Amino acid sequence: MATVEVRDLRKRYQDFLALDGVSLRAESGQLVTLLGPSGCGKSTTLRCLAGFLEANGGEITVDGESILGVPANRRGFGVVFQNYALFPHMTVAENIGYGLKIQKLPKAEIDTRVHDAMKLVRLDGLATRLPREISGGQQQRVALARALVLKPKLLLDEPLANLDARLRDEVRWLIRDLQQQSGITAFYVTHDQSEAMAMSNMVAVMKAGRVAQFATPREIYQKPTERYVADFTGEANFITCSSVTPLAEGRYAITAAGATLELNGVPGITGPAELLLRPEALALTTPEAGTFQGTVSKSAFLGAALRFEITLADGSVLKLTPEPNHPVEAGQKVGIAIDQSHAWLMPEVAP
Amino acid sequence: MMRNPKLLLAIPAIALIFVFMILPITNIFEMSFRTPGQSEPFGDDYTMMHYDRILGDAYYWGVLGRSLLTAGVVTLLCLIVSYPIAWHMSKAKGLKAVFLYACIASPLMTGVLVRNFGWMIAAALNGPLNETLMALGLIERPLRMLFTQGLVILALVHVFVPFMVLPINNALRNISPTLIEAASSMGATRREVFRDIILPLSFPGIYPGMILVYVLAVAAYVTPALLGGQMVSYMPTLIIGELTGTFQWPFGSALAIVLSLSTILVVGVFTALTARLMEWSKA
Repeated sequence: MATVEVRDLRKRYQDFLALDGVSLRAESGQLVTLLGPSGCGKSTTLRCLAGFLEANGGEITVDGESILGVPANRRGFGVVFQNYALFPHMTVAENIGYGLKIQKLPKAEIDTRVHDAMKLVRLDGLATRLPREISGGQQQRVALARALVLKPKLLLDEPLANLDARLRDEVRWLIRDLQQQSGITAFYVTHDQSEAMAMSNMVAVMKAGRVAQFATPREIYQKPTERYVADFTGEANFITCSSVTPLAEGRYAITAAGATLELNGVPGITGPAELLLRPEALALTTPEAGTFQGTVSKSAFLGAALRFEITLADGSVLKLTPEPNHPVEAGQKVGIAIDQSHAWLMPEVAP
Repeated sequence: MMRNPKLLLAIPAIALIFVFMILPITNIFEMSFRTPGQSEPFGDDYTMMHYDRILGDAYYWGVLGRSLLTAGVVTLLCLIVSYPIAWHMSKAKGLKAVFLYACIASPLMTGVLVRNFGWMIAAALNGPLNETLMALGLIERPLRMLFTQGLVILALVHVFVPFMVLPINNALRNISPTLIEAASSMGATRREVFRDIILPLSFPGIYPGMILVYVLAVAAYVTPALLGGQMVSYMPTLIIGELTGTFQWPFGSALAIVLSLSTILVVGVFTALTARLMEWSKA
């Protein structure tokens, strides 16, 4: 339907640089997530896309054509706001049909499309209620239907932030299903990495007004380009390498915490490097069989898993969550086996 | 004795309302049925003659109509003048907001007599208003503004603007900016956003503003008396004339009751007509 591209977008508020050259691309029908902590510029990017904010530099194109000069009401982005922004003086049906009414469509067509949209988000029977008379989850679905009914490109600004955990999960899948069914190009802002992982075709991890990494969820998680990305996308262990020898493009031999390994990493590392080990790449074994040896410094039973912190000989600490049925006490010597295909080498300073 | 201590706290308020509102109104109501007195303000017997006289005389209907209509015009003009001011104020922050509040409240900071004498000087034949208009070449000869209905309306709008601006400003401040963004992302132009979102959602401010200004305008006495002169009569001038000029307390009271009931009727009809909008727009 529409390919949206953001190139080198800049936005300055007085003396604060909110966006410092953001570049992104959503292919037609893709859902692209902007992931990052508050203040990283993800909402600002979304507001520039919607046309609520004017960028100070850069370019936004839809199907190759610039939309920077197009006002918000003609950009064709449906927006779902964090606080839903439902019109309090209009019924559910009027809220959903507002955009169609603005287009001056015949009343019969508006009614049909509103009815269909309400069915899609399971709001049947609530047409004549006012927003304040329905629950938060229902309000959220009205906001979604209202944005979807115009069949536009979609912008979602932390749409699940105000829902409780159970509803959040439900609405998350609803959004993903609807977006895929209708083939709508969508941008989704969140600070929740599991939401980003589960829903997106592509994730842009943002850091202080820049995109730290723009890649698929799998790459973001397994092959981060820097420690910031690895930290933000899930639990991670880092071990500083004492020596790094490049073997081929993106392939290295390293020494870390007394062990020698061969593994993949970010191409072109020359300086100091860190070994990234996700907890699921690690397994507990006997001291002799392990790649690393260490002492259990903390141990906790979580029900479905155990949780250990293990201090290695060089003082680095590894966190891992093994199966629950190997009781290990704090102070015990253990070995740690590594799934080398899931180990990853990153430069200490991003290239 | 007193079971509920909360009621104790209400006693001062109840006493105040009783002494300064219930008692006088009851008194006026009762007075309006008294026979006219010979050498004192009212007689000993009761009669319907005052109401018969008012309702049977086109003159009083005319004055009542003029009072209610003028107040309506003042209210509408106030609304038109105040809305943009309130809009501007609702966007202001910090010192600018404080400054704007002070400007808006300034008509209320002048005494009612001083303000109206000011208007008399400003609107005189050789006053600054006429001189300015002539200097600008807009008129050739001075306009007679003093003692016209137009000047009364102008002066009333001037002093009642704050009562309209403040509640509307309040209502506008309560409209979340994301509603406006949401509407524009759905394709609404600025005009449509105003018509469909801002105007209806500011109604909780428009309504009290209009009621307040209307009631104040109907009851305004000093401004019509000073700036309207002898030529145009309004109900309050007539009532005061009966009470303090000719000392016909019963007849003056009956006029006051008629004016009050008419005002209540107008406000009631307005409230009924807008009840649905009010119910929907209270966010």
